[in-house]
Amino acid sequence: MSEKTASFRGGLLAALPIVMGYFPIAFSFGVAATRAGLGQAEAVMLSLVIYAGASQFLALSLVAGGAPVLVAAFTLIAMNVRHVLYGPALMKEAGQDGSRRYAWAWAWGLTDEVFGQALGALARGQRFSEGYMFGLGLAAYISWVAGTAVGAFAGGGALDGWPAVSAGLDFMLSALFLALLLSILSRAALPAIVIAVVATVLGTVFWSGTVGILAGMICGALAGMAGGLLGGLFRGRG
Amino acid sequence: MNPDLILMAVLAGLANWGFRALPILLMRGEARPGGLMAGFLASTGPAAIATLFVASALPRLWPEQTDLVPLAMGVLITVLAFLPRRSVVVATLAGSLAYGIAFALMHPALAT
Repeated sequence: MSEKTASFRGGLLAALPIVMGYFPIAFSFGVAATRAGLGQAEAVMLSLVIYAGASQFLALSLVAGGAPVLVAAFTLIAMNVRHVLYGPALMKEAGQDGSRRYAWAWAWGLTDEVFGQALGALARGQRFSEGYMFGLGLAAYISWVAGTAVGAFAGGGALDGWPAVSAGLDFMLSALFLALLLSILSRAALPAIVIAVVATVLGTVFWSGTVGILAGMICGALAGMAGGLLGGLFRGRG
Repeated sequence: MNPDLILMAVLAGLANWGFRALPILLMRGEARPGGLMAGFLASTGPAAIATLFVASALPRLWPEQTDLVPLAMGVLITVLAFLPRRSVVVATLAGSLAYGIAFALMHPALAT
């Protein structure tokens, strides 16, 4: 494939699959938010200000569970630490074209899916451009906020007459996490994943759902770090 | 609007912006892989996503087993839909659709 610099419009077009995927998930979030007792404006505000799907669903659980605001904020923050890796990985792939003059703005849209799409485009031979990143991120962001608004205004009872649709939307979050897990699955990530799964199940069964989530994330990350160190030691000796 | 909710959102949003933008803005040359923090950060993503998948699916299995067939169908179709093009969006939509259809077939009285 010949190398080609993509434009803002190219980014908008490339975002189409993300837009189609985000809208129903955001709709589901808007409905869930109103079911959890939030107002329509509050639901839209969460999508505008946080803009991180899984965190927002967790925010609903934390708010409904009466978690203190700082504990809730820290939990949401801890969930998105993985995003620190996306920018450097993207810039590395962009090479000499990796302009970052307006990164303070377009990087806001660097979600899991936008990162995946951008990285995939670079891997296929497209040259990096900040305009493309703006297009990609903006379309996804608008879709997310619009989907939330439609869901919130449709209201918590919108799907009462459609239990199968409601069940499918309820499963969308699990499906999203599973698909994301598949997208990052690698041999190096296995220790973190296995320990996270075991710790989450044990923490949830023997203590609570919140303990399960924290135990899974912390134990999994520590296990991955330990696995990496041990692997490095063995390679060093070999 | 609840001020606590706004504070939580602003803190989480600022952190999200920081996580996404600051590593790019503060980059100085190539990152050095293999460090302790790099290992922890690299493992945080997989651990977090695996945790969230289990946490979201587990309530369907424990303490009471509900809708096992739709869950199995949803998981299976998500995996199968992901494999050909490795598209997160397609897999998510296909898995949710499969779950909804299986739910309707298992609960015909509710679905009509």
